[in-house]
Amino acid sequence: MKRLLMAALAIIMVGTLLVACSSKDNNANKGESPAASNSPSATTEASASQQGEEGGTATYPLNTDKALTYWGELTGNLVGVKATHDEVPFFQEWQKVTGVKLNFTAPPSGQAKEALNILLASGDLPDIIEYNFLSDFPGGPEKAIADGYILRLNDLIDQHAPNLKKFLQENPDIDKMVKTDNGSYYAFPFIRGDEYLRVFQGPIIRKDWLDELGLPVPETIDEWTTTLREFKEKKGASAPFTVNSKPRFFNDSYNGAFLGAFGVNRGFYQEDGVIKYGPAESGFKDYLGLFQQWYKEGLLDKNIATADAKSIDSNWASGQTGASVGNAGGGIGRWQPLVEQNSPNAVLVAAPYPVLNKGDKPKFGQKDNAYSSGGIVAVTTAAKDAELAVKMLDYGYSEEGRMFFNFGTEGVSYNLVDGYPKYTDLLMKNPDKLAPAQAMSMYIRGSYNGPFIQDKRYAEQFFALQTQRDAIDVWKNTDVSNYALPPLTPTPEESSEYATIMNDINTLIDEMTLKIVLGTESVDKFESYVEKMKSLKLDRAIEIQTAAWERYKNR
Amino acid sequence: MKREKGAFDRLFDVFVYTALSALVIVTLYPLVYVLFASFSEPGEFITHKGFLWRPLGLSFDAYESVIRNPGILIGYRNTFFIVVAGVAVNLVMTALAAYVLSRKNVLWNNAIMFFIVFTMFFSGGLIPLYLIVKGVGLLDSLWSTIVPFAVSTFNLIIMRTSFMGIPDSLEESAKIDGANHATILLRIILPLSMPVIAVMILYYAVDKWNGWFYASIFIKSRDLYPLQLVLREILIANSTDSMTAGADAGDRHQIGETIKYATIVVATAPILFVYPFVQRYFVKGVMIGSLKG
Amino acid sequence: MADARAALGTAKPSGSLAMKRRVVKDFATNKYLYLMIVPVLVYYAVFHYAPMYGALIAFKEYSPMKGILGSDWAGLKHFEDFFNSYYFWRILKNTILISLYTLVFEFPAPIILALLINEVRNKAFKRTAQTITYMPYFISLVVICGIITDFTNSDGVINRFFMLFGYDGQAMLQRPELFRPIYVLSEIWQRIGWESIIYIAALMSVDMEQYEAARMDGASRLKQMFYITLPGIMPTIAIMLILRMGNLMNVGFEKIILLYNPVTYETADVISSFVYRKGLLEFGWSYGSAVGLFNSVINLALLITANWISRRVNNSSLW
Repeated sequence: MKRLLMAALAIIMVGTLLVACSSKDNNANKGESPAASNSPSATTEASASQQGEEGGTATYPLNTDKALTYWGELTGNLVGVKATHDEVPFFQEWQKVTGVKLNFTAPPSGQAKEALNILLASGDLPDIIEYNFLSDFPGGPEKAIADGYILRLNDLIDQHAPNLKKFLQENPDIDKMVKTDNGSYYAFPFIRGDEYLRVFQGPIIRKDWLDELGLPVPETIDEWTTTLREFKEKKGASAPFTVNSKPRFFNDSYNGAFLGAFGVNRGFYQEDGVIKYGPAESGFKDYLGLFQQWYKEGLLDKNIATADAKSIDSNWASGQTGASVGNAGGGIGRWQPLVEQNSPNAVLVAAPYPVLNKGDKPKFGQKDNAYSSGGIVAVTTAAKDAELAVKMLDYGYSEEGRMFFNFGTEGVSYNLVDGYPKYTDLLMKNPDKLAPAQAMSMYIRGSYNGPFIQDKRYAEQFFALQTQRDAIDVWKNTDVSNYALPPLTPTPEESSEYATIMNDINTLIDEMTLKIVLGTESVDKFESYVEKMKSLKLDRAIEIQTAAWERYKNR
Repeated sequence: MKREKGAFDRLFDVFVYTALSALVIVTLYPLVYVLFASFSEPGEFITHKGFLWRPLGLSFDAYESVIRNPGILIGYRNTFFIVVAGVAVNLVMTALAAYVLSRKNVLWNNAIMFFIVFTMFFSGGLIPLYLIVKGVGLLDSLWSTIVPFAVSTFNLIIMRTSFMGIPDSLEESAKIDGANHATILLRIILPLSMPVIAVMILYYAVDKWNGWFYASIFIKSRDLYPLQLVLREILIANSTDSMTAGADAGDRHQIGETIKYATIVVATAPILFVYPFVQRYFVKGVMIGSLKG
Repeated sequence: MADARAALGTAKPSGSLAMKRRVVKDFATNKYLYLMIVPVLVYYAVFHYAPMYGALIAFKEYSPMKGILGSDWAGLKHFEDFFNSYYFWRILKNTILISLYTLVFEFPAPIILALLINEVRNKAFKRTAQTITYMPYFISLVVICGIITDFTNSDGVINRFFMLFGYDGQAMLQRPELFRPIYVLSEIWQRIGWESIIYIAALMSVDMEQYEAARMDGASRLKQMFYITLPGIMPTIAIMLILRMGNLMNVGFEKIILLYNPVTYETADVISSFVYRKGLLEFGWSYGSAVGLFNSVINLALLITANWISRRVNNSSLW
């Protein structure tokens, strides 16, 4: 044993020697890179004053022979269709219309986080990075600026991005979202330009069954219970109501579907200026009680703990399920054809978010923020010509650019019919048998995200079914805007503490929820769970959120 | 007495065959499931529940959509190179180390062994490795998936254990005849170790074949992507769980489920055929033969 | 003892001269052997030891721009966070239990399979059995776990089967007490064939003459199996067992997260799945590295112990 210890010691000593060696040359490398990344930003300012247009109306295409390097993931829709940005017509056109040549590099799909980490650590930064700095970067965007990866864009936007500047001035609520607590702009944002694009999820139910049974579309919790009972008894549904439980029970409960009837959701919200945590409020107990009752009666999928996308699909298709919660696209659009295979008359429609008393307006429901963090584009500290990059990225917020991003090129991907940009068959009925979502991604970015303002007219055409278009109007009708919190960011110092607390609390709540719903534990246990949440420092988490909210309000 | 023993041995045979047959049936199922699923009609498959015992309908859509990817052929080519070159490097390095470390009466062997085993437990993580790979100039080359993984410690231990099982007498007599280490390794040890070398080829080949992670980090050019990385992208793009986006197409998701299985077939069929090839080297009594010959 | 001391260069003064002589003599006889292993040592030094300074991030607040060495020190903060976590004891217990169950039930399975296959005379059957049993290893975990979920759900084949014996029909993955059996059995199912290969290869070098001698003595085949075949592959078994002990703290998160759900957390949640969930909320580079280091230290200690015992008991050891 002693001998082993000694051997171990020997190894460790060799190890430290090696560490010492490698640390030396590592420092040498480090010494160079900050300098390398500093000097370009200096030249940037020089060239900024040199080119110095009057900071207003840039005319596209810009007159330049410089090329910029652009790092970003290629949308999943195009995997297997095109391998690189260069082969995609949209990106070819984008360079043409802005006049700026772009050299693209893309990480493998699904590997963006690792690839970015390596990119930052190795110091070979491109000029432009398309990456979710808001939620996928440790410490958030303010830290990315402070650590010297990306530029604070305030002055650059002020002087060289008139279109974005104008839009933000006209929309102060969105302006608040796209900057940090310190007021820094860090990226060219992706903005959902209309409420219609921000609501896309809610309860879905089989209308044909309701009609056969002579029932209305359920509105209150009691009506839901009756309806599900009828589904079970009269239609033989073995899983009348089912929801996706991967990775956690009732994923979509974050939006407050069904929970909202009891005045809570699955996360933080605000009421009368105070931040509250749904699962610690008494309304959550009532919700657990209801679902326990449903499970006991067989109204809830028996395999609810393991229900995933595939099992829900097969439940719908085999007539075992009559209601669920899902998206207009990925829910109604996906399930309608499946259900039709076995019962041709089936119709899926949206049901309003349930309430307790008839006539109430639902308190919660899904509604995304106008600023969505996917597809946002930042300019790095290594940018050779930051001004050019900013001018080029501003294109997506101009009138012309918005048409280009949302609809592509006139005569190719859309035609103006009575002033309405109508997608051509190249997109909607692609000759190469590409699905619309794939074909669209070839010519536009309106179908996913990017540095521009998304247009409602995209979704109007993308939703092929009338029931999908109606669904948005049904689900839109909630009071969620009065209770939802804007996107808050804890300070870099607090973020790790917050994450640790919430990780423990989330585990606890997931266990509590499922155990009570499945009847393993009684609803009366709820209070003891709330006690445990308190001991896991829930109050501290609320405190951090409250502080972040204060900072947000002061932006 | 003799008959009694014969009966007992027959009973033993019955047990062996029954147990193995049962195991074969049980372990065959996942494979059958994948095959049937990959040929199923996407719409029918997605609505199916429970035991799958035949393809549901017959459709090649999933395969079409996998094979239509221009990256597949390139991926096969790159993976083929990585497997062949990689296994060659692995075998040479592992055999060298296993030979030295299996010799007796070598003062430093135990220390070296600990030096090597220690690395099974402690590593510096991805970033320092990336910097090293960059430093030695392997970045963005297929060799970056080969050289930094030239020896698997686990395999080295297995090979060494097997080398140690070869009787010393053979080596001693060769030494008396004036053989040097190279001769002993090539003429005596390796021929006597064909089964374990076959296993090493299998282990290393499977490892190289399935590897995608380091390629995704070290390789930037798409025309150098190995097969698994190409297929992984297809899988991710078609994953049925990515339903969260605001608006998603319905039809594409249906095929997504069967694509998963077609991808598995395309990705694993070739490597499955390595085993029957390897089995040919599982011959009993190699040692006896060589002793007499 | 001698070699380690030599490595340190701290041999006792009384023995130092003898030591030096031994080193010189050893080098004279074995210099070509040392020369042969130089490429391998260089490989380990460059690709394993040189990057090892990266383990320091377990003691730092890692930030990519500052680099590993430039990041601020955090001391033992990440270790304390881990040890003080509300769930620490539960995930530690689950990790060890799942590992132990796997060791007890899954480790012997491929050995038994190899022994059975060894007894088969029919060559075609033998090859088929080998090839088929090894295939599930190649099917991705997502698919395997999908099949497991299907089969154990309330209307699944396995569930139905057990209902014949009075099982109440609840989805099996919703029952905490069934998680570990399901995990271990499916582990056997997927890995038995693949892991048996190494033993089958080892069987090839068992001396045939021993069997003939045993047959002459009238030993039954079962007896031959126990007294000739099994001892013949014992060194391989011992080494595999030692390596397995050095892996005790590693229970992969992938299969766990594909099979567990909040109801079964109490028996299923392990260190790796816990860290994985944490990683979803933040970039836990440093934290993850601290947990990894903790696991490695325990694993290494177990390996050293197992190796020591094995050397005493049956003479096969790693060093």
